[in-house]
Amino acid sequence: MNEGINRELIELSIPHRSEYIGMIRLTVASIASRMGFDIEDIEDMKVAISEACANAIRHGGCSEEENFIVQFIREQNRLEISVSDFGKGYSVNTLQTPNTQELNEGGLGIFIIKSLMDDVKIKSGNSQGTSITMIKNLREEA
Amino acid sequence: MALKIQKSYNEEEQLWVLELEGEVDLHTAGNLKEAVTDMLEEKISSIRVIGDRLEYIDSTGLSVFIGAIKKLQAKNHHIIVTNLKPSIKKLLNITGLDKIIVVEN
Repeated sequence: MNEGINRELIELSIPHRSEYIGMIRLTVASIASRMGFDIEDIEDMKVAISEACANAIRHGGCSEEENFIVQFIREQNRLEISVSDFGKGYSVNTLQTPNTQELNEGGLGIFIIKSLMDDVKIKSGNSQGTSITMIKNLREEA
Repeated sequence: MALKIQKSYNEEEQLWVLELEGEVDLHTAGNLKEAVTDMLEEKISSIRVIGDRLEYIDSTGLSVFIGAIKKLQAKNHHIIVTNLKPSIKKLLNITGLDKIIVVEN
């Protein structure tokens, strides 16, 4: 990719169907690899983006005919990824940190995203849909 | 990539051997859940997951194991996972699942 580009946007519009999540993982791996992220960071981003997409597909409340949007904003030293659906949304305040002693089958996704990414913002509610924005910083080479 | 699931019961060790090849995500976790449910309906017994060729798993797949652990622990059985990729081990670590799943190399 061209050096010296400060900010580039790559945007995908994706049907609310789980079969596309694998394709999104390949996309993020390709973008992050070109930017120079290491394998561990790339694996983190693959999991985080899958969790966000699974969230949009399962909890977005949209039909399969509707699409959700995945945006990659590539900057010099970081990658910002946003997954936005146009469903009903949910109250961010009801999200809880899972108790590892009493793990439930749901609710792990957001916790995993927050653990793997450097910065995470979630906007949701009031029929505005849900948008999960997450950032991974490119680490300085030792 | 799809997910291939092979399951067999090892009479000698008295546990299920579950071999996973490919990726477990929202798209394929249903197949994994079905396989594990069938296994435990046939026989409640510990499960050894062979992870050599498991390329990817996320919370949708981990949830299947969390569901199974609840059934198994009541009868003093376990889930053992072997030869996981570092990224998958990391996921078990941050979720605390490595405290209730036996992780072997």
